[in-house]
Amino acid sequence: MGTAWLPLPVGEREYAEFVAPISARHQAPVIFSEHARPPSARTLLAALFAFLVLLAPAFALDFPQLTGRVVDQAGVLDAATASALTGKLADLESRTTDQFVVVTLKSLQGTSIEDFGYQLGRAWKIGAKDKNNGLLLIVAPTERKVRFEVGYGLEGTLTDAATKVIIETAIVPRFRANDTAGGISRGVDAAIGLLTGDAEASKQPVAGRPADQDDGWMFFVLLFAVGITFILIMRWVARHPGRPTGPHTGFTTGWTVGSSSGSNSSSWSSDSGGFSGGGGSFGGGGSSGSW
Amino acid sequence: MHALSPGGAVRFPFLAVLLGLLLSGCGINNIPTYEEAAKAKWSDVQNQYQRRSDLIPNLVETVKGFAKQEREVLEAVTAARARATSIQVTPELVNNPEAFKKFQDAQAQLSGALGRLLAVSEKYPELKSNQNFLALQSQLEGTENRLAVARHDYIEAVRLYNTELKTFPGNIWAATLYRADKPMETFTVADDVKKTPEVKF
Repeated sequence: MGTAWLPLPVGEREYAEFVAPISARHQAPVIFSEHARPPSARTLLAALFAFLVLLAPAFALDFPQLTGRVVDQAGVLDAATASALTGKLADLESRTTDQFVVVTLKSLQGTSIEDFGYQLGRAWKIGAKDKNNGLLLIVAPTERKVRFEVGYGLEGTLTDAATKVIIETAIVPRFRANDTAGGISRGVDAAIGLLTGDAEASKQPVAGRPADQDDGWMFFVLLFAVGITFILIMRWVARHPGRPTGPHTGFTTGWTVGSSSGSNSSSWSSDSGGFSGGGGSFGGGGSSGSW
Repeated sequence: MHALSPGGAVRFPFLAVLLGLLLSGCGINNIPTYEEAAKAKWSDVQNQYQRRSDLIPNLVETVKGFAKQEREVLEAVTAARARATSIQVTPELVNNPEAFKKFQDAQAQLSGALGRLLAVSEKYPELKSNQNFLALQSQLEGTENRLAVARHDYIEAVRLYNTELKTFPGNIWAATLYRADKPMETFTVADDVKKTPEVKF
């Protein structure tokens, strides 16, 4: 971080030549001149370097590169699952324009998954700029934490309660049974179900739920109904300019995002080709769980 | 020499534009820009506090249904909420250290009372498995988390604005054009670092 500009180690002679003309121009004190000790200037530089290195982790987290819709930094997904997920996520974006990225992390770098999550979402700019319709499923196997990080624009559809239920009923049981890939797949399916079937789900929540959630989904439906009431509260409360309060408020406008053209048929069939965030932002929506 | 030559008529607007560019290059717009940004962040913070406060009556009612005997804790939450909402939140609040501190203290007190309520509810298995309670709990967790993010963003925006007021060239504009613009208050670390209520499922 921030070290790219530093010169590579150079001989003292070269270094002095490099420093001297500059210091002469600025009439710097004698210690910076050629005859006096260049090492002292060098020490200064080394100190600055050490300072930057020490400060870097405090200021910024080290985020993995956004290599595709599935970023498996922790290496917990097999190739088949990863490509199946990528296909589903690409399909979601083509249908709803929502950008959904699954990421597994080697480490949370000492912070909480909530803190890491929104910063990662902002750094990657997942979601369209004018809709903030990004979604992250973050899995940190080392810390045994999982989180849905919901972009501003999706907070109405994927309420905290809804994401919590997905985590507790679809994801965590599988994770506890050491089936990380299965948990992630089920979580992604459930979230996509909510994002795509929102209208039907709120009218008749019984229809269209996967049958494999027999023990969990009754709980889920009830919570979702309660969650809907809070959408109403949120609409009252969260009236931000430039921040869609509901999931579909922005859908009538044509979406005009240059870089998120991953939804154009060319790139989303491939694993990682040309996928990038569309400028969306995050404000800490979603929920977390641990196993 | 030829002040009234045709060239002069062209040159004047050109100079005006140049002057404008130079001035904006000097950061003449920075103070109002940063101020508006900080105000927007402040309204985010307010929204989240408001949302939290909207969630509380339902939560209190739900807990009451299962744990009437915890009257003291329930009343503490209700009272703290009443105190927090009684404070008139005006845009000027952020420029008034005393009022800001009062607001912050009241909200911190409410956070504490809420934390106790959620801790107490751990004792009631029926409450803990109540759907309504679980939903409220996750909404509340989410709100606390959004609050943390909104506060963080606000602190950052205020830092930019306050720094602009005090540093060159912003301090020149602050002393001349924008004399009415005062530094904004920001959250102290104690409140910002406060953990969200720990909730176990």
